[in-house]
Parts: sequence; structure tokens; C-alpha cells
Amino acid sequence: MNKEIIILGIESSCDDTSAAILNGRKILSNVVANQEIHKQYGGVVPELASRAHQQNIIPVVDAAIRKANIKKEEINAIAFTNGPGLLGSLLVGSSFAKSFAIGMDIPLIAINHMQAHILAHFIDEEKNIPEFPFLCLTVSGGHTQIVKVESPNNMQIIGTTLDDAAGEAFDKSAKILGLPYPGGPLIDKHAKNGNIHAFTFGKPKIKNLDFSFSGLKTSILYKIQDGVKENPNFIKENLESLCASIQHSIVNVLIEKLQLAIKKTGIKQIAIAGGVSANSYLRNRLDVLSKTANFDLYIPKFEYCTDNAAMIAIAGYFKYLDKDFSQQSISPSARLFF
Amino acid sequence: MSKTFYASKVEELDEIAKSLIKVFKNKKKIVFFGEMGVGKTTLIKSICKVLNVQDIVTSPTFSVVNEYQTINGEVVYHFDFYRIKNQEELFDLGLEEYIYSDNYCFVEWPEKAEELLGNDFVQISITKNKDYRIIKTHL
Repeated sequence: MNKEIIILGIESSCDDTSAAILNGRKILSNVVANQEIHKQYGGVVPELASRAHQQNIIPVVDAAIRKANIKKEEINAIAFTNGPGLLGSLLVGSSFAKSFAIGMDIPLIAINHMQAHILAHFIDEEKNIPEFPFLCLTVSGGHTQIVKVESPNNMQIIGTTLDDAAGEAFDKSAKILGLPYPGGPLIDKHAKNGNIHAFTFGKPKIKNLDFSFSGLKTSILYKIQDGVKENPNFIKENLESLCASIQHSIVNVLIEKLQLAIKKTGIKQIAIAGGVSANSYLRNRLDVLSKTANFDLYIPKFEYCTDNAAMIAIAGYFKYLDKDFSQQSISPSARLFF
Repeated sequence: MSKTFYASKVEELDEIAKSLIKVFKNKKKIVFFGEMGVGKTTLIKSICKVLNVQDIVTSPTFSVVNEYQTINGEVVYHFDFYRIKNQEELFDLGLEEYIYSDNYCFVEWPEKAEELLGNDFVQISITKNKDYRIIKTHL
């Protein structure tokens, strides 16, 4: 192995505990706590989030180090998610990272989870990486943002949601349709054979680069309630077209704002990030748009779209290059901005 | 004591929020009942605006809790228990520490944690008919 800078990344902001090891920008391991790891340690995955993190963190880090086939003494720095996220969950990761940094006498690097999602584009890739400056549309269950990225450590949010996130619009629409939570991926699946123009819903009226999905959600709810009132089998008979139309409406909002951001900034390097970037219709629409509007589109590998520690490690790598280290006094924050 | 307000459009919510804060007096723990899309987050947005919250008030469905700050540096917690499966998850989240703090706590979908929340909370229920939203407080 050609040894560059080796970073251990820890992610514990929400439901999953994850650890990853990177050598330079190359991934050596990326482990998410699951039943398999627990079996090896003789336990099961507890249901409870932060208690689960406490039980997961050591097995996960240990598994990541073994899988990377390195010794822990080779690690140059430890990076951890400092927010935003659930405070109880964040504290597990930050406490571990601080202890590890002291114990190994290596630098500690605090990472903003939302910036890490964007930097996931730089994991492993040698050729197909966005050039600076680029725009990133970050869409997940909890966030919807357009970020202008000047450099790995310099980015600004130029548009954000004023109420619900795009992922929430997907999940709550699915709930209205009687699909299990989180139902975003199920909408994607059912939509494949549906008619995107079968139903129309209210459009948000926000003028600038900010998003709103709350009104759309309410409009979807009313339309479906009215339909069911007239025909009890309304959802069943129209499921595919309802999913297609709902997905079309949500994605339209994202596409329109992205187009506006391109127009306003003149930037033609476009990336997407976050869990919703796995949505196939969004990917198709962006792909088509990239050809008509003539921009370069960058979509990260699926495993780096959702929460993972590899993205924390890559963000740590860039901060390491800038020698942007954190003190032991740093404490995680549920609300963290950049 | 209960008090009822009617809103036929979203612009009327700021005035209602002002009245609600007067009704709350020094009570800072408020729960919001109402079905999806009825406007719980939207009303909390208005209440936060009146309290001079500086952050964008968004839905905490995914995050479970959002933390905001007012212009005077006071902290406001905004909860949403929509995706909570059992009360133990809330213990793990440190819910008690939030609730026993001296800060405003606004809670959407409180049905999931009725035991935990106890009776100290001001209850607000939002319902709708064809033309307007009906906002009721129960102290």
C-alpha cells in the first residue's frame, strides 16, 4: 500500500453508526453497524438510537480498522460528525473521537455533516470529480439545499427549505398513500409505470432559491382525500399514476430551483448529494437537463449518498491538508451552520 | 380554560400567535395536536416569528428536534414525534433534559409520548373545515 494520509471517520448523527478508513482519497473500509457485526460480538442491534450508537461504536471502529488491514498506530487523524444531528447520538461519536485522539496523540477534526455529503463526490474518484466552483443540490429526509462550493473547505448555502425537506415530502406522500415509512423509495418504484400528468398539485410560490414543500404536501393530501371520498378504491386503482404525479411534482420543484441557481451563478458544474439523490426519476431528469442546458453532472455512488462515515473521512482529509484541527473543548451542536 | 381562534389564511397566523403567547403567560411547554397538513409547523413558525427566532423554522420530522435561537439568545426547542416508535427512544434522545430546561418546547405529534409529557403542557389542537383552520387552546 502506498501510504498517504490515513484518516478514521466516525458518523453518528442520526440512526446509523458508521466508521471508515481512507488512505488519501482512496477508501480502505466503510463499515455501517449491522446485524453481522453484532453477531461477531455476540449481540443484536438495539432499537434505540443513541444507546445503539454506544453499543455500536467500538465494534464498528474495530471492524473498519481490521477491514482496512492497517494498524491503529498508522492513523494520522480522526474526523467525526459535529452536527447537525441528534445531540445524544452526536455525543457518542464526539466522545469516542476525542478519547481516541488523546489516546493515540493524533489530531481531532470536527466535520459538518452537510458539507461531508457534498465532499462524498471526492471519495475514490480520480477523473470524474466536479471542478470548483460547483453547485450541489443536497436532498435528504431532513435537508434540501443548494450549496455553492468554492473549495473543499469553503462553501455557502444559497437556497434552503423553508418548511419540509424533499425527502419528507416523499415519505409523507407515501404515508398518505398507505405505503410504509420511509416510503420515498416505494414511490419511486410504483411511479415507473404511472402517468406523470394524471394528477396536478399546488406549486410553491417562493421566488428566490429557497424551497417549500409543505403546501405541496397539503395539496397532495386533499386531492387524495377527495378522491377517496368519491371512490373508496381511488388509491388502489390509481397508485402508479399517483406516485408518478407526486414524484413529478416534487422533482419539478428541485429542477426549477436548480435551473434558477445555474442562471444566477453561471456555474455549469452540478453535483447532487443526499439520500434522495438515489431517486431514479430525479437522476433521469437531471441527466436530460444536463444535455439541454449543457452542464456537467456529477452523481455520487449510491453507497455514499446516504449517511456514511467515508464522507466524514474525506471531509477530514481536506481539513487535514489545511491543518484545520479542533480542540478537545469542542462540543457537538444539533444546529450547526456553515 | 380554553380559547378558540379561526384562521382563513396563513397571513392571519401571526396575530393569532401573538394572542396565543399571551394565553401561554409564563408557560413554555406547548403540545400541538392535529392531522397531517393541518398546519402545525406553520403555526409554530408564526409563534417563533413573534418570539423573534432568528433561524428558519422547518419541519423536524426527520431530525426529531430542531433548536432555534431568538434575537436575545434564548433557546427554543421544536419537536416532532411523527417517526418515533416508542417512548424509550425519547428517553434516549434526552427528552427529559429538554423538557426540564427553562426553554420553550413546542411538540408536534405528542400522542407518541403522552406519559412522558405529563399534564404540565399547554395543549393546542388544530382542525379544519372547508374554509378555515380552528385553533383551540386548553390550559
